[in-house]
Amino acid sequence: MDSIEGSDAARLGLAACAAVLPALTLVEPVRAAETGHLHLFHALQVEQLEQRIRNGANAVAWEAHAWIGTDDHKAWLETKGEKPNGERPEQAEFQLLYSRRISDYFDGRVGIRYDVAPSPDRGFAVLSLHGLAPYWFEVDASAFLSDEGELSARISAEYELLITQQLILQPSAEVDLAAQSVRERGIGSGLGAVELGLRLRYELVRKVAPYVGILWERKFGDTADLAREEGEDADDLSFLVGIRFFL
Amino acid sequence: MSRARSRALRVSLRLSTVLATAVLAGAALAGPDHRLPFGEPAKAKQATRTVTITMRDNEFEPDKVTVKAGEIVRFVVVNKGELLHEFSIGTAAMHAEHQAEMAMLMEHGVLTPTSFISDPSKIDHSKMGGMSMDEMMKHDHPNSVLVEPGKTAELVWKFSKATELEFACNVPGHYEAGMVGKITFAK
Amino acid sequence: MTGRGFTFSRRRALQLAGAAGIAGTFSIHPGRRSFATAAREYELEITAGRITVDGISSKAIMMGGSVPAPTLRWREGEEVVIHATNRLDVPTSIHWHGLLLEGVMDGAPGFNGFVAIRPGETYTYRFKLRQSGTYWYHSHSAMQEQQGMYGAIVIEPAGREPVKADRDYVVVLSDHTQEDPRRVLGNLKIDPGYYNYQKRTLVDFFRDVSREGFWNALTDRLHWAEMRMDPTDLADVTGYTFLVNGRGPKDNWTALFEPGQRVRLRFINASAMTFFDVRIPGLPMTVVAADGQNVQPIRVDEFRFGVGETYDVVVLPREDKAFTIFAEPIDRSGYARATLAPRAGMEGPIPERRPRTILSMADMGMDHGESGHGGAADHGAAHAGHHGAGMDHGAAGHGASTPVGRPRRPFGWADAATPPGMKALAYADLRAATRNPDDREPTHEIEVRLTGIMERYMWSLNGRPFGKEEPIRVRYGDRVRIKFVNTTMMAHPMHLHGMFVELENGQGDRKPRKHVVVVPPGRTVSVVLTANEPGEWPFHCHLLYHMEAGMMTRFVVEPKLA
Repeated sequence: MDSIEGSDAARLGLAACAAVLPALTLVEPVRAAETGHLHLFHALQVEQLEQRIRNGANAVAWEAHAWIGTDDHKAWLETKGEKPNGERPEQAEFQLLYSRRISDYFDGRVGIRYDVAPSPDRGFAVLSLHGLAPYWFEVDASAFLSDEGELSARISAEYELLITQQLILQPSAEVDLAAQSVRERGIGSGLGAVELGLRLRYELVRKVAPYVGILWERKFGDTADLAREEGEDADDLSFLVGIRFFL
Repeated sequence: MSRARSRALRVSLRLSTVLATAVLAGAALAGPDHRLPFGEPAKAKQATRTVTITMRDNEFEPDKVTVKAGEIVRFVVVNKGELLHEFSIGTAAMHAEHQAEMAMLMEHGVLTPTSFISDPSKIDHSKMGGMSMDEMMKHDHPNSVLVEPGKTAELVWKFSKATELEFACNVPGHYEAGMVGKITFAK
Repeated sequence: MTGRGFTFSRRRALQLAGAAGIAGTFSIHPGRRSFATAAREYELEITAGRITVDGISSKAIMMGGSVPAPTLRWREGEEVVIHATNRLDVPTSIHWHGLLLEGVMDGAPGFNGFVAIRPGETYTYRFKLRQSGTYWYHSHSAMQEQQGMYGAIVIEPAGREPVKADRDYVVVLSDHTQEDPRRVLGNLKIDPGYYNYQKRTLVDFFRDVSREGFWNALTDRLHWAEMRMDPTDLADVTGYTFLVNGRGPKDNWTALFEPGQRVRLRFINASAMTFFDVRIPGLPMTVVAADGQNVQPIRVDEFRFGVGETYDVVVLPREDKAFTIFAEPIDRSGYARATLAPRAGMEGPIPERRPRTILSMADMGMDHGESGHGGAADHGAAHAGHHGAGMDHGAAGHGASTPVGRPRRPFGWADAATPPGMKALAYADLRAATRNPDDREPTHEIEVRLTGIMERYMWSLNGRPFGKEEPIRVRYGDRVRIKFVNTTMMAHPMHLHGMFVELENGQGDRKPRKHVVVVPPGRTVSVVLTANEPGEWPFHCHLLYHMEAGMMTRFVVEPKLA
C-alpha cells in the first residue's frame, strides 16, 4: 500500500491523538478518589450481528462499538462490516475515536478509521458529530479524509419505536457521500449509496435481543455504475435475522 | 388565675352565641339538657374536691384521676403549652366521634392551632364548605372546655355512674399523640 | 440489639475512672486518638456478608452484622463513642444522618478533614448528642449504603417526650437489588432508560387516541419527543425488592400491639433511589415528627416519603386485627409491606395497587404558576382533604372533577392517586412544634439550581458536577435563604449535612426543620437556615445514583473572624 509521507505523519498524529486524549480522561477519576466517587464508565455494545439473506449471496454483517471514559471525554472503538458467506469480507472498518461532549445531547469526535476491506486497505482521518436529535433520533454525521486525500461522508440516523416494552421497531437510514470517485474501492463521486433498514427486536432482557428485519440498499450515480460493472445490482433487498447484545 | 379563667368563660359564652354551644360550652352552660349517661355538669360550689390538671403540648399532667361514683369534681385546667387544648370527659368512643367534629371545626377555620375564633366576622365562611350554622350548632358538649395557651379554665362535673372514662384533648392530632388521661372509679 | 460484630457497653465515666484511677482511659487508633470517657461506647464492625430477602440470598455490606444495622438508642445530652472497624477490602465511612456534630465526626470522606477508614483500620467517632428524635446512619462511601450499610438512630429527649406511646418501632424502608451498584450506574450511563419498563408504547398511544383523540395524543407525544424527555421517568432504577427493616414483602416484618395501644412508628427512608407513598389501610396516622424534629400532630392517611427523610407517626389500632403497612414506590414497580398485628403470624390484606402517575408539562417547569415559597405545598396530594366526618368535601384539590368510585388516571409527579376523602400529607401541613429560634430575615439568598442531563445520566448543581463544583460559602452566624430551582423532571431529595434547614412552607415562625427537602420536578422550594455549624458540609441529592453522578457540592460555613 503506497502512501505519501505527509499523510503518514497525519496518520501518526491522529493515532497519537486518539490514544492520548482518552488517557487524559483518567485524571478525573483520580481526583474523585478522595470522596470515593466513581467517574469512569465503559460499554461494549454489539448493535447488529446478523445474517443478511438476499438473492444468491447471503452474508454476515456486524456493527459494534465499545467506549471507555467519563461524561465529558471518551475513547471509542467502532467496527462495522459485511462478509459474504464463504468469501473474504466485502467491507470491514475500524474506527478509534476521541469523543468529547460538546452539548447536552451531542459529542464531537475525532480519530482514525482503518478499512481492511474493500481492498486496498485505507486509513482515514475522522471528524464526526454524534448524538440525539429532537424527537429522539439518534444521529451520526462523519466526514472522512483518506490517506490518499479522498474526502467522503456518512450520515446515519435511527429511531426506536416501542410497540410494547420489549418489542421494539427500529427504522434506520444511512447515506454515503463522496467528493471524488475511488474506482478500485467501488466508490463513485456524489451520492453513493442509501441504506434503509427496519429491525424488529424482542428484548429478552435489556441486554439481549434477537431480531428480524429488512434492509434495502440502493446505489446511485457512479457508484451504481461501478457496481453494475462488477456484475452487482444497484439495489438490493435483504432479509435479516440477527441478535443485538451488550456486555 | 381568676382573671384568665373569667376571660376563657367570657370568650366561650360569646362564641356560644354564634355557634350555639359548639364545643366550648363547659360549665357555664350546665343544665338538665346536658346530662350524659355517666354524669352531668355541676356548679362550682357543689364540688367537694378540686383537681388541677396541667396541659402541655401535647399531654396532661397528671394523666390519671380517681373519682367516686356520685362525686362532684372541680377540674381546674391550666394550659402551659403553646397550642390550643381541650379538656373533655367521655368514653373513648365519644372522644373518637368528637375528634371528627373538632377536625371539621379546624378545617373550617373556627379553630386554629392556637385559638378559637370568638369573632364571627373573622370566621372564614368560604371554608364552611356549604355547611350551615345550624349544622355547626349541633355540637353541644357540656363535658368539655377549650383552653387557649397560657389560659386557665374549669369544668365542674358530677360523675354519676362508674363508666370507663377518659379525659382527652380532641384538638386534631393531640389525642393520637397521647394527650389523654384515665379516669378510674374508686370502689 | 446483639449481632455479630456488635458489642455495646454502658460504662459510666466515674466507674471507669474509679477502676483505672485516672480521669479517663486513653486509646489510640492509627493516626487518631480519643479519650474514652463516654457513657456509651460501641464497637461497630463493617463487614461483607450475605443477607436473605424473601428466601433469596444476596451479597451485602453490614454494620454490626445485620441489615439494617442495629438500631442505636441514645439519649439527648449523652456523649457517645463508636469504634468503627473496617473489615472490608475497600475504604469505608459512617455518616450520622441528621445529627448535629463537629465536622470531622460527620463521616463524609473528603469533607471536614475526614478521611475514609482504610481496610483493617478503626476510626473512633465521638460526639455529644445535641438533639432528640429519629435519625439514621449510613455509609458515605461510594455504593456502600445501597448494599446494606444503613441503620436507625433513636435519641430520647433529655426532657419530656411529647408523644406518649405504648409501643415504639423503627420502620426502615429500603430498596434492594441483586445487581452490583456499579453495574447499575454503568447501565444508566449507557442507557438512562435502561430500567424503565413502563415507557409509553405504541399500545399506549392507541389507548390514548381512543381516550383523547388522535391529535391530542399525537401532540402530546411530539411535545415530549421534541424535548427528548420521557414522561414516564419516575424512577431511574427498577428491579428492586422493597424492604421493611431488611425484610421483603414475603418475609412480612411484623410489629405487635394490643388493641387500644398507642403505637409509634419511626419511618426512615433508607432507599437508594425510591420515593414511597406510605399508608396503613384502615388506620389513620398522626405525624408527630419529621426528620427527627417534632411537629404539631397532623392526622393523615398517607404520606409521600423522600429518600433520606424520616417521619414519626402514631397509630391507634383499636381492633383485634392485622393492619398492613404498605409502601408503594411512586413508579409502582412493587411494594414494601409489613404488618401491625396483635399476634405474630397474622397477616392483613394486601391493598389494591395504586395506578402510576405520568409526568406533566408542569413537572418540566413549563408552568411556573405554582412555584414560589409555597412550591412544596403540593408535595403529596394537594389539598387537606378532611376525613371521617362523613362529609363529602374531601376530594377538593385533587381529582375533584372525577366522580367518586371511578378509577382516575393520576397526572403529575405529586399525584399519588389518593382516593377522594383521604388525606395525604403535604409539606405545607408540617408545622414545627416549637417556634423557630432565629426569627431574623435572611440577609441573602442563594439560588441552587438542580440540573442534569437525563440522556447522559449526568446530574449536577448549578450545572457543575461534583469535582468541578463551586462551593457555596456563607459566614458563621449568617441567616440565609436557599432557593432550590429544580430544572429537571425528577424530584430530588436535597440533603444538607451538619445543619437543619427551615422549610418555607407558609407556617410563619413554625417552619418545620428538615435535613432533607424534596424538591418536586420543575418546582422551586425555598428554605432558610442559620449557619451556626462551622465546617465544610456535603450538600447533595440523596438519590444515591444522582449523588454518585455528580449532584453534590460543598456548603462551607466559614468560621467567625477573631
